[in-house]
Amino acid sequence: MTNEKVDVVIVGAGASGSVYASVLAKAGKKVVLLESGPDWQLTDLISSEIWGRRVKPAGAPILLEGKNPMAYAAQGGWGVGGAALHYYANFPRLLPTDFRMKSEHGRGHDWPIAYEDVAPFYDKVAREIGVSGDARAEEKWRPAGEAYPMPPMKTFRNGNIWLKAFEASGIPMVPAPVGMNSVEFKGRPACLYDGWCHVGCPIGALANPQVTYLGEARKAGAEVRAWSTVTRVLTNPAGTRVTGVEYYDDKHQKQTQEASVVLLAAWSAQNPRLLLNSATDKHPKGLGNASGLVGHFMMSHHVASTWAMFDEDVQNHMGTIAVQYMSYERYPKKSHDGAFGSSFVTAGFAVKTTDLANSRADLYGPELADYMKRAARNLAGIKTFGEEQPNVENRVELASEKDEFGMPLGRLIHSFDSDAVALWNANFEEGLNVARASGAKEAWSARGTMPTSHLLGGTIMGTSAANSVVNSYGQSHELPNLWVAGPGIFPTEGASNPTFTIFALSQRGAERMASQWGTLTN
Amino acid sequence: MTNMGRRGFVKGATLGALAFTVGGVEAIMAPGEARARNVPFRLLDAHQGETLEALGETLVPQAREAGIAHYIDQQLSVPPHEALLQARIFNVRPPFADFYRTAIVSIDESSRRILGRDFAQLSAADQREFVGRMRQNKIEGWTGRPGAAVYAVLRADAVDVVYGTMEGYEALGIPYMPHITPEKRW
Repeated sequence: MTNEKVDVVIVGAGASGSVYASVLAKAGKKVVLLESGPDWQLTDLISSEIWGRRVKPAGAPILLEGKNPMAYAAQGGWGVGGAALHYYANFPRLLPTDFRMKSEHGRGHDWPIAYEDVAPFYDKVAREIGVSGDARAEEKWRPAGEAYPMPPMKTFRNGNIWLKAFEASGIPMVPAPVGMNSVEFKGRPACLYDGWCHVGCPIGALANPQVTYLGEARKAGAEVRAWSTVTRVLTNPAGTRVTGVEYYDDKHQKQTQEASVVLLAAWSAQNPRLLLNSATDKHPKGLGNASGLVGHFMMSHHVASTWAMFDEDVQNHMGTIAVQYMSYERYPKKSHDGAFGSSFVTAGFAVKTTDLANSRADLYGPELADYMKRAARNLAGIKTFGEEQPNVENRVELASEKDEFGMPLGRLIHSFDSDAVALWNANFEEGLNVARASGAKEAWSARGTMPTSHLLGGTIMGTSAANSVVNSYGQSHELPNLWVAGPGIFPTEGASNPTFTIFALSQRGAERMASQWGTLTN
Repeated sequence: MTNMGRRGFVKGATLGALAFTVGGVEAIMAPGEARARNVPFRLLDAHQGETLEALGETLVPQAREAGIAHYIDQQLSVPPHEALLQARIFNVRPPFADFYRTAIVSIDESSRRILGRDFAQLSAADQREFVGRMRQNKIEGWTGRPGAAVYAVLRADAVDVVYGTMEGYEALGIPYMPHITPEKRW
């Protein structure tokens, strides 16, 4: 079945797709978002870790391989809002050095743009959806920008208890910027600090797409079609333009949605899968893949978690899942001898019973029961995110197995290199030193399987089709009306949580698309 | 934006405890209640249920009484995208029943080979020792998914039924503070 042609069809109704939908619908464009999962409502966001799993990834699995398989299900999204429906909303930005990795360090890639090109959009996003934090305090590490529209979030003992130890270790901590409301913002209430952010915030204090960009997009006329799984991007016979997408609807009926512009915003692993599965005789390696780089340079962050048990009640049930404090002090790429890459240091966050149990994953039986009682009020943690360098071997490719619609499954192959492992170890060592200096009666590193957090790359931006898949706006080098959005277009990842940058790049890309509309539809 | 109440003002209208079949009629109850009422399993056989209870109790005390086997059984009977099992978070590929069935087979095969009887028939001390070795992938001749992965998923399920509920929070003295309260205190 063929639907009426629209201006823009957006594949994926998560963070990046929602920004585009809002900007373009407000610009008068007819926008349709196709989302493979349900259309979650705020009333679906039950305060329960158990029920909260409903909003985590489902549908066709991604096959995971490599030394460090990407553990995407714990953090990924499924359905309207995507991962941003239940994200932690830590909003650190990338720093200028992240954009110049090749020229400064001979590693990875240079971005085709500089920090200064993105900075105005960080500020714009903050004004649009609300960010709480202290910009002046951060500016010891980054260029000055606008103040955040809301003051920092409240802090609790589980965060404050670390401050002296960090100071003694030469790591100044400042209030963390978060996409949450410390005060009422644009009619959305202030946070209640009960730590259920990771299963979704039904009051709208967390800046999820439903209460920000996607809500605005819907008001401006954008249509969201849930349970709609896109399997191919379609092209004209000459292979010079995309013409729309093929998808299966909520009744598993095959549909075609024609559009002047196609935007892929289906997450770092799914966008390459779609491009590769859309191969034609004119694009035998897949769309936008003359470089052979579609699916390559997948990246993840590693996380060094340090836990400590205190004698006092640290109120660890209070706060948000986002962190209270952060530091860029270890962000310079050579902060640790024998290791390379940025580290982003954080402390202070609410924990739930799953976190308590996972903080000592080796315990079971009566020892676990005893530990849970002690940890219930006395456990606190610090987490240091570490950068991975882009590696062409870390990739998404098509598998021979197929999903229920006959589309090949994606296979995600990921291994951390020796730089990443060295940085992870260095961050553990420093975290343990801080914890020991904090007065904790016990402190330990949460080692075990090396964690993967966030997934970036696969459709990286660059200066030409020789070195990348898209330009700095997310536009395909080869097909002018095919665009890609989200963390997949990052050519390097830094150590900062990516969503603020995803929003900023999407805002920048969407405004570009709107302003250059005439060139896209010729 | 939907006009939502603040903490606890709104309940999840369509969600409650799990649906169990009693005498051909679906009834909503917590897994522990289903166990206490001897609700028949939907997919598991008696031995599988007994083994899951023994494993759960070894991993997290009170998991048996909290109905871990009934919880897993009920969750295996719903479509994977509706499942609340930790298998989903651990990137286990559906159907999840395959994971649990093969895990039970691996555990029993190893238990019989090393200790001469099925896991559920071992003494509590032997069960504990066995699980400790399974956690460390130190059971020789083990087949199937790595023991550490089986440990992680089953332990997480047991943590859910014992500590993940409102009663679990209450037992630990942690204020639950829901925005939207799960019905039936689940």
